[in-house]
Formats: sequence, structure tokens, C-alpha cells
Amino acid sequence: MISLIGFFSLCLSTIFSFVLLMPSSILYMKIKYFLFIFRSSTILVCISFLSLILAYVTSDFSNFNVFQNSHSDKPLIYKITGAWGNHEGSILFWICMISIYGFLYSLISKSINDFKIIVLKIQSALFLIFALFVIFTSNPFLVNSVLVKEGLGLNPILQDPALAIHPPVLYLGYVGFSLVFSIAIASLLRDNLDQEWIRETRKWSMISWGFLTAGIALGSFWAYYELGWGGWWFWDPVENISLMPWIAGLALVHSLLMIRGEQVIEKWIVFLSILCFSLSILGTFLVRSGILTSVHSFASDASRGLFILLIFFLTTGFGFLVFLIKSPSKKNDLNLLLINKTSALLINNILMMIAVLTILLGTIYPIIIEVLTNTRISVGGPYFNSTVLPILLPGFLLMSIAPALSWQTNKIKKFKIYVISFLVLSCIVALHSYFTNFNSWGFIGLILSTWIIIASIISIVLRYKFSPTMQYIKSINSFIAHIGVGVMIIGITFSSIYQKEYNFNIAVGEEVTVDNQVLKLEKIQIIEEKNYQSLKANFSLEKKDRIISYIEPGKNYYPVSKMITTEAGIYHDWFKDIYITLGNENNNIWFIRVYINPLVSFIWFGFFIMIFSSVITVIKK
Amino acid sequence: MSLRFQRLILILITLVMFSTALLLILFNTKQNIIFFYTPTELLENNISLDKKVRIGGYVKESSFTTKSLNEYEFKITDNANEILVFYEGILPDLFREGQGAVVEGFLNNKNNIIASIVYAKHDENYMPASIKKELEKNNQWKKNYK
Repeated sequence: MISLIGFFSLCLSTIFSFVLLMPSSILYMKIKYFLFIFRSSTILVCISFLSLILAYVTSDFSNFNVFQNSHSDKPLIYKITGAWGNHEGSILFWICMISIYGFLYSLISKSINDFKIIVLKIQSALFLIFALFVIFTSNPFLVNSVLVKEGLGLNPILQDPALAIHPPVLYLGYVGFSLVFSIAIASLLRDNLDQEWIRETRKWSMISWGFLTAGIALGSFWAYYELGWGGWWFWDPVENISLMPWIAGLALVHSLLMIRGEQVIEKWIVFLSILCFSLSILGTFLVRSGILTSVHSFASDASRGLFILLIFFLTTGFGFLVFLIKSPSKKNDLNLLLINKTSALLINNILMMIAVLTILLGTIYPIIIEVLTNTRISVGGPYFNSTVLPILLPGFLLMSIAPALSWQTNKIKKFKIYVISFLVLSCIVALHSYFTNFNSWGFIGLILSTWIIIASIISIVLRYKFSPTMQYIKSINSFIAHIGVGVMIIGITFSSIYQKEYNFNIAVGEEVTVDNQVLKLEKIQIIEEKNYQSLKANFSLEKKDRIISYIEPGKNYYPVSKMITTEAGIYHDWFKDIYITLGNENNNIWFIRVYINPLVSFIWFGFFIMIFSSVITVIKK
Repeated sequence: MSLRFQRLILILITLVMFSTALLLILFNTKQNIIFFYTPTELLENNISLDKKVRIGGYVKESSFTTKSLNEYEFKITDNANEILVFYEGILPDLFREGQGAVVEGFLNNKNNIIASIVYAKHDENYMPASIKKELEKNNQWKKNYK
């Protein structure tokens, strides 16, 4: 019954969005009715998604999707999150968000009605295409052909609180670019516009980018503590394809800054807007089609992949076609000097595009090679580390001073202070590297990150008078964001270069010494949880004869799917994480692996600062 | 500096960045890619021992032995040929006999490999597309996998 309501409202909302696409010569609608139909379409698709969640919560196994991915023993939170923990549900969630973004736009936008209608029409066209994809290839409301009392259960690896928040936030980011896409195309289709659409693009791209950042950060954190997903960043295809729209979005957000210096290049903004959404869809296609081998991808189906590829070519093709035919002709002379803000932003954009291209090439290179030569290869971390990082280096150097540059001239105020502090800093870092174990990447990372932070602080202190107002925070916002990047680079450099690894065989009651700290295996215990059995090794962490914390790595056994998951035990500290994984047991002796990960918390803190800064940009004064 | 000269420098910088990127990509695609083989392909091709490779297939039934707490030995098979794998470390949770797995490492000699990483199938339905294709070709594909 619930599934029927869900499917019915999904179809109805699809029909509504089809009606919206009728040209006004056939079906003339007043704006009032147009908005009414659009909004009811949104409400209907939300009802559809809510009824799927309800089917999960009530464990309605007459729904095939629920039967495949749920089990009545699961805790409530995993029943709810299970709704988007599978392909069908997550795509329904995706179209739900396309519609919600349109809904919010229709409420907030201050553009003239004609423009609004075009944007919403494109948005509902996107909705229509994806809704058809859901209905024909990935319907979550299929009826189960056999009567069953119990479901198959959700993949234990996904039974984690992070599933509740990581996919929704990530999708908010991906799908947000659909609205940016719609606004860009609408701006092409209508001539003689004022600059309102650029301001709107700025707002919505910032929102999407903020969500995408948060989504990537959450995924990264999840992969860090879930064993077998390769740590917080693995250069896995699924991770790469989220990075591409992220970087393109970053380029978009930066190029939109030029509106302040009245240097805006409309053509470039429109191009980036289309690119961001295209990369989002391409990502979905690559993950869902199973073309790419990834540790994160789940059951996939070739026919779906074909459909998404079709959608990709349709939207991207349409987008770039409109762009070519009706590209904005307004010529705006750029005030390009060797080192002013315009040229810094330009170089930033070029670098980011090169980075996106490099990642794209590395990600699809295996496909190209397989098609051409029929050999299979994999491109992993080493490739990306030694191509993407060097490409981004000049960008990192530039970002330390870029916000302090002027629009008009190529002079920097108090240039000497910057030069002197850079020299002092280089000496300190060089000495530090000389006395600790020297590593060229470590040296570069450290000097760049500290320089970004220090240069930003110098600029803030020199240029703005402190006052505890929103105005002040808004004016130093770009520096804050860049400090976030600096903090993150410190974390990345230290945690990847100065990581230490220890292996031990240990019995209950024994102690091992790691990095001046004593780890003692206190006890091994087995706990019965609601839907799994958990084995926990209880370690006490002692420093100077004082117990500072307990660490509990363990293994969980899920009887429904007969699977074991390994849960790492992590002790978080501002300066280092102690990360323990539990291996096998033989004669009451356990194999454990201990990692000392220095400064990992800086990575999360850096992410946090960047997200904070994007929130500041979006909220009004 | 004249305006024209400054712009010239900007264009030059762009070109330099582009060509550096291109060089990096070309150099790294030669150095840093890993080839993927099934056991049969591995035996057919002559692969030099100093190259990192990935081998995919099934973990052969009753081939798995534990040497010590964290040292293991097992065979990867595509039901035609098999390769002996040595591995030291913690095996992934989903690793078990009869299931799909991919190992990465350096060849010891033609028939065995010292693995540095072992990947196991991600969930009940999941199998890397490349292995699936190969197994379908040999009619070894179990139909109940989707």
C-alpha cells in the first residue's frame, strides 16, 4: 500500500514536470499556476521518497527493494538510512533533491518572472529525465513476487551512523550544481539580462560547493575509521569523481569573485557551471555502471550505466550546444597585469582546470586502454600524487597572497613584510627539516602550509581593523578559507609522511610500548548487540604511569549476512591519532597493528574551516 | 613594465604550466600504472619480476593456510590456472575461500606472488567488471551473482 502511494506520487510528479515543459504557445500558464504545479511536483516526489522510508521503517517486505536491503532486526536508524543505502533509493533521493533545489529557488529568487520560469523549466527537464530513469530502470517500488517474512539485510559495512549523513550531504552538493546549470543555461537563452543571475549563480554554487566539501569530508572520515577502505584518501575512482566537480566548483566560486572587480567573464562562468554539473553526472555514470573497479562501488548494472551515459550526453551535449550557439557576446576588457587579482584568479582557474583534466585522464585512462589494447590496468595513488600535487603547487603558493592583491595595480601594500617573513619562515622550516628526518615532500608541504597561514594572518592584521562584527568576518572570509587549506595541508603532509606503523603479537595482560606510551591489552570481551555480535579488545593507553584513555578495536559478526567487519579503535588527540586494528588470534595471542598518525585532526579542522567560510559567504549581512 | 609585456609573461606562465602538466602525465602513465591479469594471462605473458601487478580471480577452495598469526598463503584461480600468493598483514573482512579477490604485489617467480595488498569482493553482489567478463568468457560465472 505504501509502495503504491509512493509510486503513484512519483508518476504524478513526473507528469506534472512534463506539463511544465509545454511551450507557452500550446499551453499558456500564468506564473502563479506555473509555480503551483512546480511546487506540487516537488511535494509529490517528497511524498514518494517519504513513503519509501516508511516502507523501510515498517519493514514492508512486499516491496522488493526493502526485501533486498533491509531486515526487521536492524536498529531504527539503519532502517531509515537503508532507504538510500542502495541504488534505487539513492537515485530517488537524487531526483527528490533536484526538485527541492528548484522549489527553494522559486521561493528565494528575486529575478524577473520570465527568467525564473526558464530556470525552473530547465530544472524540471532535468527532473523529468532522471525521474524516467528511476521509473524505467531503477524503480524502488517494485513488488516482491514471493511472500516473505524476512528481508536479506543491509550490507554490514554500511551499518554505520555515517550512512545517515554522508550520502545526503554529498548529494546536496552534487545536485546543487543542477540548479547552477539551469541558471547558466537560462542566462544563455535570454538576452539583455542584468547581473542578478551572476549573483544567484554565486550564491547557489557556494551552497553546493559547501555541501560537496562537507560530503567529501564526511566520506573521508568514514573511510578513515572503517578498515578496508584505504584510509582518508585513497585516490579511488569514486573519490576522484567527487574531487573533479569539487575542483571545478572551486574554480567557479573563484571566478565569480571577479564580479567585485567588475571583471567578470560571463562566458567562462557559464562554461564552468555547465562543466560542474556534467562532472557530477559523469561521476554518477562511472560509479553506477560498474565500468570502473572501485573499492566503494556496489552492485551495478550495465543497462543502467547505458541509460546514465545517455542522460550524460543529453544534458552535457545540450548544455554545451546552447553555450556554443548563444555564447554571451559582451566583451569585457580584463585588467590583466602581471600580479594583480584578476591575473591571480585567472592562473588559479587555469591550474584548477589542468588538475581536473589530469584527474579525469587518470580515472578514465584504464577504460581507454582496455578499449584500445584489451589489457587491463589500474591507475592508483602514485600516479595522482606525482601529477596532481605538483600541478597544484604553484596554486598553493599563489593563494597565500592572492586575496591581498589589488584589482587595479600590480603593487602590494607593505610588500617588504611579506618577503621578510617568508625568508624567516623558510629558514625555520629548513632547520626543522634538517634536524628531523628530511623528506622533500614533507619540506615542501610544511613550508607551503605554514606560509599560507602566516601570509593570510599578516594580511588580515595589516589590512583590516579588528571589530567583532559580521562585516569584519565577511571581509576577511577569503583569508579564513585559505587558512583552512593551510591547516589541512599541514595535516595531510604529516599524516602521510610521518606515519609510523607497528605490528605486535599480544596476549591479555601484556603490554607493549609505542612512541613513549604503553598499550596494555586489558581484556577481550564479547557483547551481544541488537543485530550483531561484537568482539572487543580493550586496550588501556598509559602515559607516564597514568591511564589516559581506553582504545577498543574489535570485530563485529553479522549473523544475517554471515559477515565480519573489522572496526578500528582510534584514540584522537589534537596532535596524533593512535589507530589500532585487531587481526587474528591463535592460542590466545592476538595480532595487532598500531599506527601513529600525526596531526590527522588538522585535516578535519581544515575541512571545518573551509565549510565555515562557505557558510559565511552565503549568509547575508 | 609595459602592459603588453606583463600579458606576454602571463601567457608564457600558462604555457609553461600546461607543458609541465603534460610532461608529468606522460612520464607518470609510463611509471605508475599497474597492469591487471588473470592467472592464465599471467602465465601466457612474460612479465618482468620488478613490475607491480594485480591478479584477480577466485580464492581456491581449501588452498588457504595460515603460516603464522599474520602470514598467509593461498591460491588465486580462474579455474584454468592458479597462482600461489604469499601475504603478510591483516586480510580484508570479506576474504574467504571460493570468493573473488584481487591481489597486488611483485612476482616472486612465474607462479607465485608476494602480495602487498589483498582486495576482497565488496559485497555479495559485487565483482569487478573486468574479472566478471573474464569469468563469463570461461563459463565459470555463477549465475546467482548479479
